[in-house]
Amino acid sequence: MSLLLNEIGNGIFLGAFFGLVALGYSMVYGILRLINFAHGDFYMVAAFVSYTILGAVLVGNSHGQWLTVLWVGVLVMVITGGLAMLANQLVYRPMRRAAILSLMIAAIGLSQVLENGVLVTPQWGATYLVFPVTTPPSGFNLGSNHYTWAQLIIVLVSGLLALGVYFLVGRTLLGKAMRAVSEDRIAAVLMGINVDLVIAIVFFIGGALAGAAAVMTGVYYGQINYLMGFTVGLEAFTAAVLGGIGNIGGAVLGGLVLGIVQSIGTGIFGAEWAIVVAFGALVLMLWFRPTGLLGERVARRM
Amino acid sequence: MIITKFKARILTSGLLVATMLTVVAGASGGPASATAKKSPPYLVGVPMPMTGAEAQAGTQIFNAELMAVQQVNKHGGIFGHPIKLLEQDDACDAGTAVNAANKLISEGVQAIVGGYCSGATLPVEPIIARAGIPYVMPAANSPELTTGGYKNVFLIDPSGSGDGAEAAAFFKQQGITKVFIIDDQSSFGVAIANAAAADITKDGGTVVAGGVQSIPATSNDFSAVISQIKNSGATGIYWSGYFSQAAQFATQLNAANVIGPNGTAKFVVADGSVDATYLSGAGAAANGTYATIAALASGVGNVLNTHADQAFNVAYHKEFKSAPGPYSTFGYDAITALVLAARHVKSIKPGRVIAGLRSLHFNGLTGKVSFDKTGNRLGAVMDLLEVVNGQYTLANPQPKL
Repeated sequence: MSLLLNEIGNGIFLGAFFGLVALGYSMVYGILRLINFAHGDFYMVAAFVSYTILGAVLVGNSHGQWLTVLWVGVLVMVITGGLAMLANQLVYRPMRRAAILSLMIAAIGLSQVLENGVLVTPQWGATYLVFPVTTPPSGFNLGSNHYTWAQLIIVLVSGLLALGVYFLVGRTLLGKAMRAVSEDRIAAVLMGINVDLVIAIVFFIGGALAGAAAVMTGVYYGQINYLMGFTVGLEAFTAAVLGGIGNIGGAVLGGLVLGIVQSIGTGIFGAEWAIVVAFGALVLMLWFRPTGLLGERVARRM
Repeated sequence: MIITKFKARILTSGLLVATMLTVVAGASGGPASATAKKSPPYLVGVPMPMTGAEAQAGTQIFNAELMAVQQVNKHGGIFGHPIKLLEQDDACDAGTAVNAANKLISEGVQAIVGGYCSGATLPVEPIIARAGIPYVMPAANSPELTTGGYKNVFLIDPSGSGDGAEAAAFFKQQGITKVFIIDDQSSFGVAIANAAAADITKDGGTVVAGGVQSIPATSNDFSAVISQIKNSGATGIYWSGYFSQAAQFATQLNAANVIGPNGTAKFVVADGSVDATYLSGAGAAANGTYATIAALASGVGNVLNTHADQAFNVAYHKEFKSAPGPYSTFGYDAITALVLAARHVKSIKPGRVIAGLRSLHFNGLTGKVSFDKTGNRLGAVMDLLEVVNGQYTLANPQPKL
């Protein structure tokens, strides 16, 4: 029983990352019906950017480094958001009238460009880079599990960011515009909504969230690699589908469920079965609820 | 999953261009003076992970091979034939490796000197055997590699079965009977994990959690596994996989108070995890952890930073502006072995070179090089390393086998 509780705790932590990245997938899908396969690579680029910035500003500065991580994190969120916006402007916007399949292939192409771009960039390349910051092992015990303060902070930050997006989309005028574009783009144009701007903002938010997840990954796990975006992208995409793609709450819930199912799967069957259990759960879920966990709101996506 | 496959294919073709660029750069950077002679070049194929997660080690080995080739060509090549390396990316992936080997053979290579990931070398063995050319592997060392009965296979890195035996001996020496074994699902990792499990059971220990566990090589989160370890009451943890995950595993085990100042368990890793990135990645958490590696590997190759290491390290650094990896010297010796074998039999005919490799004896950067009937490196002795203050040191005392 205590193993089960511990694994749920581990799963919530894991799910916090999945949820943040899944939000970006879900929002872009909600507004463009596009599965943005390059999204995991925005996350990867963000990790490298934060590695470089942190390496530059942390030289000989061990005091107040958490404040530095905070502002670098915010800066990287803005940079990654900008990168996602730029990608939208250069790749997706010229293809707005193209078939959705062409867009998806463009997304895969963009993902290759980003991965190989990082591969050939001096100082980045194919090696594992070790982050200049590490989290201290101090923390608290819950059940028989030891959690570090860093883990708690990561879960709280992820929760706050997700809550922020939830309110932005649900309660603000901008959010209303997003929902309008998601439901009917042409009608939204006729209502005087600047559709291109709204889409650009959605890309910015998705990129910024991936940026936040990347900085936290780098700081907590300590290592980054130019292929790290692929796995995370796949897991986050799964989380988004599990929760009901296009749905904000669904992305977060899907992330948490996926994290918990994987951890419990590891605890009971062993780590080699974790992914089998997770995808088995996904298949079962889609069997009974093809629209995902929160899929009943399919008519009001976003 | 279709998308994944599709993506992988695009990745491969996209990277082919990158690989070709590297080959061109390598060729133009090589010594042009040796080609003054009229003899056609002796083509050597080098399949190595140049992209993907293991690209770092692949590049470090390939660079060392380039260094060896430059030396040989400066001294007249093999009876006037300058050596030319043809590089192919195997991406540490079985499918890509098969394509790479076929491509190299169709380009007419006279020998293959490459291989880091055992999973990418195993499926290639029969292809190269059919071509009848020598296959010298610098760093792949799964015990399965020499059980196929191929006459043309030679392993410069001693077979990994020694890792498992050494780890089992260490746990016995420490009085640890409950051991948690986990691998990374790679051919190298699984083979060594199973060998270790057999040795530990033979020594009277127990492999907890119902047997050897596996985690995908892409995972960076070990929290669920760590809960499993705590639940099992294991006091020995054995990781059989590569260095990047080893660093993350050690860090998380330390944070969970399983190892380190507040923990009681001992963490041991197999030789794929011996790397400077393990030390920097795990930081303080690496202290007090152990690794097993062939004594030849730890003596030279900047792991222990001995005197002999430094001359090679300086030359390597001058050439490539970066530090060599633990397996760089193995790449250097692999080329040397091939050249000396050809010189010994006074022929570059593949069949003759294979015979030459079989009877080869020389002192390389990694120590005495000679092979047994199956192609395994002879005289392999294992070292147990302990990390002290962020540096690899020889553990004292060494466990008795």
